[in-house]
Amino acid sequence: MGAFNTIAFKPEHCDGCNACMTACATAKTGSADIINSRIQVVADGDTFELALCRQCGDPKCVANCPAAALAKDDASGVIAWDGSKCVNCLLCTVGCAYGGIVYNAAAGHVVKCDSCGGDPACVKACDRGALTYLTTANIYNEVGDLEDLFVPGLAGCQGCNTELIMRHTLRRIGPDTVLATPPGCVPGMGSVGYNGLTGTKVPVFHPLLTNTASMLTGIKRHYKRQGREVNAVALAGDGGTADVGFQSLSGAAERGEQILFICVDNEGYMNTGMQRSGCTPFGAWTSTTPVGERGKGKTQDAKNLPLLMMMHNCEYVATASTAFMEDLYAKLDRAIDASKRGFAYLHIYSPCTTGWRFPSAENIEVARKAVETNFVMLWEFNPRDGLRLSRPLDEPRPIDEYLEALGKYRHLEPEQVGHIEATVRKNVEQIRGLAEGRRAAMA
Amino acid sequence: MSAVLKPKSKAIVCDGNEAAAWAVTLARVDMVAVYPITPQSSLVEYLAKFVADGKLNAEIVDVEGEHSVLSVLHGGVLAGARAYTGTCGPGLAFMFEPYLRTPGMRMPLVMSIVTRDTLTPQSVWGGHQDAMSVREVGWVQMYCETVQEVLDTTIMAYKVAEHRDVMLPVNVCHDGNYLSYGASRVELPTQEEVDAFLPPPSTNWHAALDPSRPMAVDPLTGGSGGPGPALFVRYRKGQCAGMQHALAVIEQAHEDWARIVGRRHAPLVESYRMDDAEVALVTLGSMTGAAKDAVDEARERGTRAGLVKVKTYRPFPVQAIARALSGVRAVGVVDRSVSYGWNCGPLYQDVIGALQFAAQRPAAMSFIGGLAGADITTDHFGRVIERVQALAKDGVVGETVWLNERD
Repeated sequence: MGAFNTIAFKPEHCDGCNACMTACATAKTGSADIINSRIQVVADGDTFELALCRQCGDPKCVANCPAAALAKDDASGVIAWDGSKCVNCLLCTVGCAYGGIVYNAAAGHVVKCDSCGGDPACVKACDRGALTYLTTANIYNEVGDLEDLFVPGLAGCQGCNTELIMRHTLRRIGPDTVLATPPGCVPGMGSVGYNGLTGTKVPVFHPLLTNTASMLTGIKRHYKRQGREVNAVALAGDGGTADVGFQSLSGAAERGEQILFICVDNEGYMNTGMQRSGCTPFGAWTSTTPVGERGKGKTQDAKNLPLLMMMHNCEYVATASTAFMEDLYAKLDRAIDASKRGFAYLHIYSPCTTGWRFPSAENIEVARKAVETNFVMLWEFNPRDGLRLSRPLDEPRPIDEYLEALGKYRHLEPEQVGHIEATVRKNVEQIRGLAEGRRAAMA
Repeated sequence: MSAVLKPKSKAIVCDGNEAAAWAVTLARVDMVAVYPITPQSSLVEYLAKFVADGKLNAEIVDVEGEHSVLSVLHGGVLAGARAYTGTCGPGLAFMFEPYLRTPGMRMPLVMSIVTRDTLTPQSVWGGHQDAMSVREVGWVQMYCETVQEVLDTTIMAYKVAEHRDVMLPVNVCHDGNYLSYGASRVELPTQEEVDAFLPPPSTNWHAALDPSRPMAVDPLTGGSGGPGPALFVRYRKGQCAGMQHALAVIEQAHEDWARIVGRRHAPLVESYRMDDAEVALVTLGSMTGAAKDAVDEARERGTRAGLVKVKTYRPFPVQAIARALSGVRAVGVVDRSVSYGWNCGPLYQDVIGALQFAAQRPAAMSFIGGLAGADITTDHFGRVIERVQALAKDGVVGETVWLNERD
């Protein structure tokens, strides 16, 4: 069975404007009366509850129906109601725990959401971001059958998204791969292994922290010489990429080596005790930029590594976030393809539950806040089309929403927050300028 | 595809850097990584030109520094390539991190050290301080006396490195200035002769990165629990055993080479006029020629002088040295580098260590010369012989003598 698209609701973004219900009622009945809406958003104290068909995988409404009037569509996953078979017994409404199928007096029978054929009117009407149409299930459908090239039981910290990055990227890249994981969290969780045991099913090795791109160069060049198509892939931390690993990275990029280099950026040396790296942002606490009577965290801004790689004119450069997996997958595909022609660089942000000090359940939400506040920007570059924004930078959420989610910024004073705001603004203008420059050049 | 080198065995005139490049070409290496540094630069220029001219069918990787030079070759070797590079001095210092790792990974690659004195004072001239500074890292190190020996040894180095009982990297050391730029007549072996001597490399399946046989290369090993300590010791002991096996393999390689091309070089140590010698010089590298002349002159004066040249420095041929020097009354060891901690030459340290195993142990003194490109002339060696004669008489080991102190 495949996975399906779905409508997701974030009550914290909802202000009860009813636009979704108006849109639904209009789309389905021609009347704007929200009584006819298939989606019902109901105030519940300080928050809102959603009554909407979840298009369940094991739908009780279908099981309860004695007339076979309800059926789940195998292709779309939508539970369809067939009026010609319905006997109006309403047993379906009893089965549904979500208020997703209800009797509508005007219609004279039950009504439910049909996802508008994959383009739901309610989502389009919501300008608060409370409703989103999630299509990420495609990822499962497309790669779910591909072999996970890491063994179960890698020993990452609780809630870390690096393991997610490793498993998702490598299963897509495939088994004809040699994987380099320089010292850091990636091998730290057992991917290369310990005393004779390994966590990886493809050839894997520890390069030095300094020479990942160079070792991959030798591997790739020799296999090419032999006429063999082997992917040379790095999963490296930001220290092994931006700091001590940068010389070999820059050299390989300049030479256009056919390598896919993935930087898992957790903004510091998190594996070895949360020390500062060149990618640590201004103000952040680390164990070498501690907070005390005088110290207030890092006193310099982060090095913008993906931009540096863009300036190498790599075959492909992109930033990605695990809060936006469809985008990540699309970029991964383009990076894999580009690495067959030249150097491909993928920079994936990896909030560190341990080193950034936030609850382990919140990793993806922290990643999302980083993007939605423009602290992290998602874009991609290739030499022909220039830089393209992956999502608009307009109307970011307030930076406080991101900073307050992280213990490493707990000590920030107002002027430090001001500095970070100014840095984000400057970074946004820089990227926007590059993206608009692209459009001008293309026009 | 085979290399297209077609000359019959013939004599050419070339310097040591070109000789090394010819050897690399004849050895059919798959991969060469390049970064220039004086006095090695012309060596990699020759290789780049040989590739451009179609003489050498190798993947040539021009990288951004010596650290990457060796790192690229690590990748190549783990994918099954026969690999080569050369460096010296500051370049060797910069590549120390991957250099340190090479023998532990049992990578049979060959790297020339076109020896150069180390900084500081700033210097671009010859001296053994660079190679000596890395003598305990686990690479096989062989020092050449002549341009011909550079060529022959560089080919033999692959036979040694890739031997299944060795599987270790080899440094072929040839003296900056004196051998790198000194031209002489060289017999060039034919491709057929080299092919008969050196079979294609076979993959070391103990450490290989090939998707057809996935494995983890160099996982964490050691720690205080589980199989860690025993596993780590096994690797270390195996590495030491490989070094010791290299002594016999080097001798066999020299024997095989002599059989095929008709040229015989001493594999571990060369004894020169040692049969009835009372005093002996111990030398390393290109200084040996002048030292042999000085021995001849001393003999003409009636002094029973001899010489022992150390060809293979790591592994140190302890027994061969002990045998060669047993019975002489006094020894002068001439180093082209220093051991700061001992205030003498490093070869001297090794020799007095080896003399513990000599049946009759002679007195030995340390002489240091030829730093930063300085010439060690027959006059210098004549003075060394005189000092060693005095040592033979009184047995009093004096302070280290610095040969170029007043030059």
